[in-house]
Amino acid sequence: MNIPDGILCSKTHEWVLEENGEALIGLTDWAVEQLGDVVFIELPEVGSVFGKDEVFATIESVKAASEIYMPVSGEILEVNEQLINSPELINEDSYSAWLVKIKPSNYQEDANGLMEYDDYKDEVQ
Amino acid sequence: MEADIQDKKTFLYDEHLKLGAKMVPFGGWMMPVQYEGIIKEHNATRNFAGLFDVSHMGEVYVRGKESLEYLQKIVPQDISTLKEGCAIYCQLPNKDGGLIDDLIIYNVKNIDIEADYFIVINASRIDFDIPFMKEEAKNFNVEIVNKSDDFSMLALQGPNAKYIIQKMGVEFELQPKFFTIQKTELNKIPVLLTRTGYTGEDGFEIVFENKYAKELWNMILSFKDEFSVVPVGLGARDTLRLEAGLPLYGHELDENTTPIESSLGFFVPKEKKEDYNGKTLILAQKLKQKPLRKKLFAFVMEDRQIARNGYDVYIEGKKAGYVTSGAPSPTLGKNIGFCMIEFENLDSNLVTRLNNNQESLGIIIQVMVRNKLYNARITKKPFVKKNYEK
Repeated sequence: MNIPDGILCSKTHEWVLEENGEALIGLTDWAVEQLGDVVFIELPEVGSVFGKDEVFATIESVKAASEIYMPVSGEILEVNEQLINSPELINEDSYSAWLVKIKPSNYQEDANGLMEYDDYKDEVQ
Repeated sequence: MEADIQDKKTFLYDEHLKLGAKMVPFGGWMMPVQYEGIIKEHNATRNFAGLFDVSHMGEVYVRGKESLEYLQKIVPQDISTLKEGCAIYCQLPNKDGGLIDDLIIYNVKNIDIEADYFIVINASRIDFDIPFMKEEAKNFNVEIVNKSDDFSMLALQGPNAKYIIQKMGVEFELQPKFFTIQKTELNKIPVLLTRTGYTGEDGFEIVFENKYAKELWNMILSFKDEFSVVPVGLGARDTLRLEAGLPLYGHELDENTTPIESSLGFFVPKEKKEDYNGKTLILAQKLKQKPLRKKLFAFVMEDRQIARNGYDVYIEGKKAGYVTSGAPSPTLGKNIGFCMIEFENLDSNLVTRLNNNQESLGIIIQVMVRNKLYNARITKKPFVKKNYEK
């Protein structure tokens, strides 16, 4: 598992990686470890728009359903279709198994409250 | 997760931590919910063997001249036909026929322990069962002893369980048969060994003094390479029992629901001469002399969404009940569950169909998942064929 350079993490365990006005969003390895076996992921429709901290997806482990929050606001450009049929990919590597690609609407301000990976790791451990 | 001050620990708590278990509070205890992963543990139990710490379960001794008369009063089942060394699955109704608990009663008159009957009860219900059982005992020459703190308990389940028991000194032909109990030794450790479980697989439950807990646990796990036995947590215990169609107290069973309404009618005899708590309603429902107020159904989701405990259930656009348990079934690769359908506001033709076991199969219900309705189909239980050795 490779932690991509430059990711920022939220207190609710999502990561975001911004590049050239687009951003990938996923779940941190710590969050996935807590969830256990992931069996189903419900992703949003392309084109839908979510504010920061809004629920945009649901992830189901064997035991429970968990909501996933937008670390930054934006419009959904793409969803990771692979996860629909192979949700277990997120257990293998939750950084290559990103959930959605978005066009952030207010990245600089939204990213303010996020943590760098090392700080996030300190916080959850 | 941090333990609550009041949550108890079994004598295997440190072993669970060593194995990297995630611990969760359950029924007043800190218990392992998973070690390596629920699906892995589930499949290991179905294919090889799983070892469960079930020390949180309660144990009760019943002894005295009127033990049988007493038991006849507190369960709908006929205990007079329960032979020595045999076990029976029972329910503990209140006066109105709702269930205080479900339990297994063992006739241990032939066994050298200080009891005539041995009862295993749910961890979360010990504090309800014991006062109730003691109150009921006032009318009989009988003594109820709560032994829950004296014993630890393991469940060894799966097709390889019998080989492990054999390796620990009990040959196949000497092993207890399905739903029986014996006093024996596993590598010199004195135990009560029963051929029961909560997974739908062949297997054993082992009751013994707390001081042997670590030794026995690690002895069984030492057969890891030979028989692929793995420790299994409550997560897989739940998916295993759900696939086997077995109810869990607080989900499928509660104080406001009779055993007939919880679809346990199969276990309730049509005739029993003695009076028992809740008999009027339970028997009238069993004999179809009184309509059911609600009924438990097994269902399979037609969509990929997972029904969870508490989700609303609809039939023909009308709210009709709620999900009592729901999970993905690792064995079937489908999402399954139980739901309680309340008959009060439903169309009478529909209620007639639901009341008929054959006709109810295939009825489409809808489960509300995150504000959308998804189809599910009523099906037979168990979801997965039981694999008992009888």
